Amino acid sequence: MQPTTTGENRTGAATAEEGVRAMLDANERWAPPGPIDTTLAEADRGVYIIESDALGSVPPPVTIQGMLKSGLNKLMGERPEMLMDKIGERIAFERTGTRLYDALILKYEILAESDNAPALPNPLDGAEEDVGATLQRIRTEEQAHFLMLSEVMRSLGGDPTAQTPCADATATASMGIMQVVTDPRTTLAQSLNAMLIAELADNAGWELLIALAQEAGQTDMVEMFENAMAEEQEHLATIKGWLTALVTAGSTATTVAA
Amino acid sequence: MTINLLQDKGTPLGRQTVAWKDMVGKPISKLDDDAFTRVRAILMNGLELDSLRTKQVALRMNADARVQLAQLMRVEQHQATTINWLIGADHSPLETTIGYEQTAIEVTASVAQLEPDPYLAQGYRYALLEDFDHLYRYSALLDRLEGKDANNITQGYTDIVPARPTWEHHRAPEHDLLQPYGPDAALSTQLHALTLTGGEYQTHDYYMNIGPLFADPLARQLYAEIASVESQHITHYGSMLNPHETPLEKLLISEACEVWNYAGCAAQETNPRIRAIWERFLDYELGHLQVALQLFKDLERRDPAEVLGDGLLPRFIEFQSQRGFVRHVVEKETQLRKRDTEFVDESEEGASSLTYRTTVNASGSPSRNASATWTWSPGTELVRDAEAFKEAA
Repeated sequence: MQPTTTGENRTGAATAEEGVRAMLDANERWAPPGPIDTTLAEADRGVYIIESDALGSVPPPVTIQGMLKSGLNKLMGERPEMLMDKIGERIAFERTGTRLYDALILKYEILAESDNAPALPNPLDGAEEDVGATLQRIRTEEQAHFLMLSEVMRSLGGDPTAQTPCADATATASMGIMQVVTDPRTTLAQSLNAMLIAELADNAGWELLIALAQEAGQTDMVEMFENAMAEEQEHLATIKGWLTALVTAGSTATTVAA
Repeated sequence: MTINLLQDKGTPLGRQTVAWKDMVGKPISKLDDDAFTRVRAILMNGLELDSLRTKQVALRMNADARVQLAQLMRVEQHQATTINWLIGADHSPLETTIGYEQTAIEVTASVAQLEPDPYLAQGYRYALLEDFDHLYRYSALLDRLEGKDANNITQGYTDIVPARPTWEHHRAPEHDLLQPYGPDAALSTQLHALTLTGGEYQTHDYYMNIGPLFADPLARQLYAEIASVESQHITHYGSMLNPHETPLEKLLISEACEVWNYAGCAAQETNPRIRAIWERFLDYELGHLQVALQLFKDLERRDPAEVLGDGLLPRFIEFQSQRGFVRHVVEKETQLRKRDTEFVDESEEGASSLTYRTTVNASGSPSRNASATWTWSPGTELVRDAEAFKEAA
């Protein structure tokens, strides 16, 4: 990984003025600009949207006995598949989140071992935890959330190892985040920026899950989810704080890691 | 450095080693490297994959060359990996596609001007107009699907406008064929045809692999449509090759083709790190050629000079913008079509192609739908859209 510097970036119209002028001349001859009309594409895509099958289905409960024992029927309300699907989504997201932190921790540790270790602020007022320890703690909490959710899924008679449709869709959405964090060329700041997307989505995901559990009247579940949510809020603030520190002018860490 | 195919020995095959870390080195920078560095990487990956393909066919047809072919293929595989892995992960599949089409355009345009056989030169210009149109269609998709400017990949070297429309590229198979070059063809003619065949093969295979990765149904359709045209192009260029060459003769030409292309890349590369790869692999290919020369002498009992002439390399492909030539071809030859192996005016196109085209375009044309009313604008169509918005306000 190298720091971000001003260099020979060759993208953009300004770096190839002569070529761009020629391209615009070619436009005048072969593709003169006119009113933009994308109705053909929209109509085509519309047909696919109407005709497409779903990504897949929510797996049925593993055991009816398990369902009855946990009072699942009462809990699930009118849309039982939705709660299972969203719990499945959070299971997958927390699991991937743990791996994202594995990648981030490695990148940070390699930097920290170098002479140019980034000076990141301690996110917790008055706490003595250093950055490496904070990252490890967040990683542990992500994993703990995953394990807690797996237990909840089991208590509902579901299979925490199954992939629900929302888990699948969220995993697709997360692919870019993983690409950024694991790329050895990206700086710590660029990696944190990607993690910020994950943490923002994670926070919103927990909010939604808590609302679903409240709707079902599951106070125990709500309490567990709120505890997790509080930790996620702290993760979000931490990541945001570090990112701000790295990209803000005057930061000692900026030239190294931003 | 002047290379002679019959005299330069290169690195002996037994000393050609590539470790995993060599194969998975630093990729090029999408942002900072010159577009022609990417063009060369794409071209040479195509060449390496085609050399593997040639050897796999030869393996099935030569009981006495199996060991040497297997040894050669191991190194070619690792060379291909080294080169293909130069493409960084920040290229979206669609951005890489833009790079592939730019490669097809600029390389084909250069080859069309180098080709001494006027009929085959016409063949290059013909398919050039189709790849040129593909760049425009994919650029429209990149803009409208991902909100990205294709010129950040092509860097001002290549015009992005329509030519022969993609929905008219669909021909009945019998009209994809060309007359092959004969046994007396110049070495340059043989190398040009093989280079383009390998390039089109690679492009086709790439589109076939990444097409299903897109969620957008229009992107999936466009890749399906253009992959089909690239398949036609493999036939178009592949049918230029003399079908009477023996497998070992093809092996010889394939190795010479790699030497010629690596030498051309090394001579023109602007990134020193990448130039070192081209130089190293040039030496490897000269070593491979030694094996091919020996097999040709031992098993075919023929003089390699029959194929390679005096051993001097033809003029290299020129890795620079071919804008003027391409525009001339767009202006003069867009209306050409195919009938059997001939190039004719669109009014005389082979009838079976019209029937075929009607069939595949029956439920609409992906290339038309993806690009309708699209014009390349610096910073994407949204800039133009915003300007119109301001004017209206």
